[in-house]
Amino acid sequence: MEFTRMMEGNEAAAWGAKLSRAEVIPAYPITPQTELISHIATLIARGEMKAQYIKVEGEHTAMAAACGASAAGARVFTASASQGIAFMEEALWMPPGRRLPIVMCMVNRALAPIGGLRPDHNDALLQRDTGWIQLYCENSQEVLDTIIMAYRIGEDRQVYLPVAPCYDGYFVSATAIPTTVPDQGEVDEFLPPYKHEMYSLMPGDYRRPPFPLNIAKARYEVQKAMERAKKVIEKVDREYAKRFGRGYDGLLEEYACDGVEAVLVTMGSMTGTARDVIDEMQAEGKPIGLVKLRGFRPFPTEELRELAKKYHVLGIVDRNTSYGSAGGGVVAMEAARALYPLDDRPLLLNFHVGLGGSDVTMRQIRYMADKVLETLETGKVEKEVEWVELLDLGEVM
Amino acid sequence: METDKLFDEYYEKSLLQGGTTCCPGCGGPLFWRMTLDALGPNTIVYGDGPCAMCAIRNIKLPTFGLHFSFVADGSTGIVAALAAKGRRDITVVSSAGDGATGDISFGKVSAAAERNENMIQICVDNEAYMNTGIQKSGLTPFGAWTTTTPLGKENPKKAVPMIIAQHKVPYVATVSVAYPRDLKAKIKKAKGIEGFKYIHTVMPCPTGWRFDPAKSVEVVRLGVETWAWPLYEIEGGVLKLSMKPKPKPIEEYLRPQRRFRHLTKEQIEFIQREVDARRQRLLENDGKRIIL
Repeated sequence: MEFTRMMEGNEAAAWGAKLSRAEVIPAYPITPQTELISHIATLIARGEMKAQYIKVEGEHTAMAAACGASAAGARVFTASASQGIAFMEEALWMPPGRRLPIVMCMVNRALAPIGGLRPDHNDALLQRDTGWIQLYCENSQEVLDTIIMAYRIGEDRQVYLPVAPCYDGYFVSATAIPTTVPDQGEVDEFLPPYKHEMYSLMPGDYRRPPFPLNIAKARYEVQKAMERAKKVIEKVDREYAKRFGRGYDGLLEEYACDGVEAVLVTMGSMTGTARDVIDEMQAEGKPIGLVKLRGFRPFPTEELRELAKKYHVLGIVDRNTSYGSAGGGVVAMEAARALYPLDDRPLLLNFHVGLGGSDVTMRQIRYMADKVLETLETGKVEKEVEWVELLDLGEVM
Repeated sequence: METDKLFDEYYEKSLLQGGTTCCPGCGGPLFWRMTLDALGPNTIVYGDGPCAMCAIRNIKLPTFGLHFSFVADGSTGIVAALAAKGRRDITVVSSAGDGATGDISFGKVSAAAERNENMIQICVDNEAYMNTGIQKSGLTPFGAWTTTTPLGKENPKKAVPMIIAQHKVPYVATVSVAYPRDLKAKIKKAKGIEGFKYIHTVMPCPTGWRFDPAKSVEVVRLGVETWAWPLYEIEGGVLKLSMKPKPKPIEEYLRPQRRFRHLTKEQIEFIQREVDARRQRLLENDGKRIIL
């Protein structure tokens, strides 16, 4: 039966894995993911969830065991964060190359040593080239829903790629909001049992995806799968919305964008705060909207180009750093590449904020939004990249 | 022509394909032929990386592997998937070389042993990183030349089977391709035991040990006869020597291998004393519980 109650992101993720009927869960604890796997352990101990929970000795093994189990025909779930994701990096290249639709939550947290236990996105963005689909979630409800969708997306024969629902540590992982847990029967109808059409390790029925001897071709196949995934993500999202009444607009969501000519682009938990700021500013008559980037891999290139037709200034908010990059954060650089071929390019501002998990405050968001509007007025980019936290905005932190 | 026919017939039935990517004289194809004979077709073989996998590339069973640094981990996942599906009829074998087992993935093997994962873990020990071109591993024996120990290795070989036994796993055994009956019996026994089984096999390597490829079996037989490579089982914590040959001088084992040719008389005497002392301890503990 469907029910709604207060739930933290990590518990919602455990429910997502349970409802998806994950069969094998190899996991290693790391803050801020730990409650997720302890919830799963509890659900299994109570007999409410049927899964093989492997208490592995490290993240490298967690991902390797996930690969073995997925290849052997089991639906696999796992989760990690920060140093754990970095430690399993070698293993993270395996599922895309082997076309294994594992689902792993990346509970975002800053990397050592210039960080802490709190969230930023560098841990997941570090994996941007591996071939994992990355969907960034804003709150508990989206985490739960995205996990269920993630299996439909990854296990689609057009895709066969692993999927990472990403969500910020603490701000999502440990913040309780009213969360609706759908009915198991409904989820079963939405998500049929896992069956890999290309893979079987069973003796007598041994099949493996063909591996072209041409390495470039093999890589190109992963790239094509990633491109096809865009349509699949949108289709699955629509179907989910139709059945469960909640959708997330696929790869990106436009919020309060009617009639505006400039937008802020955010990713992850800060989007919730940004919604409030944008509402306030619109009430004051300031014409600025909000775009929430949900899919970072595959990157919504075409969608962003569509936005560029409507909005003259994009203020991209990056909760990450890329030292010595061409300019700014990872999301801004991707966006710049997506927009570059356009004849009529929008102006691009880039903000670094929330690094190492510091709060992204309403005042900071308002500052960034004001800068975007200023740029819209002057038609000139004053500063391409701005580290908002270095400014004195008169806040007591 | 008659021999061709014999080979064709053999490989028709064997779980190993004819032809191999291994070096001439490698013990790999021999080992897998015997092992798969003992295990039968209801087997999944996990493992990847250099030498240890060359022979596996030619087997006719389901295989899965990730990379060199992945030992006993993917197979843990396979075991869990089989458990989830209720398939108790399939044997999972995980294979790795000495460097993978004893060095880079040592923690993984230890953890799988601690969790008592239901698999047969095989260490294919040719006593160095051979596929990368003969570099020292933790399982290279004292005194052996490799490209990273040009003056000979300074430290003794890591005693991996004994360390794994201390995890209280149900079964540990050492084997050698020079003793096929013993090898097959141990593999068959491992197959019938629930939990983590560890098989440590010597893998004669003419390329890295520097000897005539025609002499592979002879060299590893000398290993057993000189007690450089004692064959034993540890079942339920109890040590049982598989054979107790009258010891030949260690020099007979060292001499054909040019990786040992720089050894001085004193060094050979030192190795002899070490081997003798270990033989003594093994004999004293034969039939006794050695796990505390």
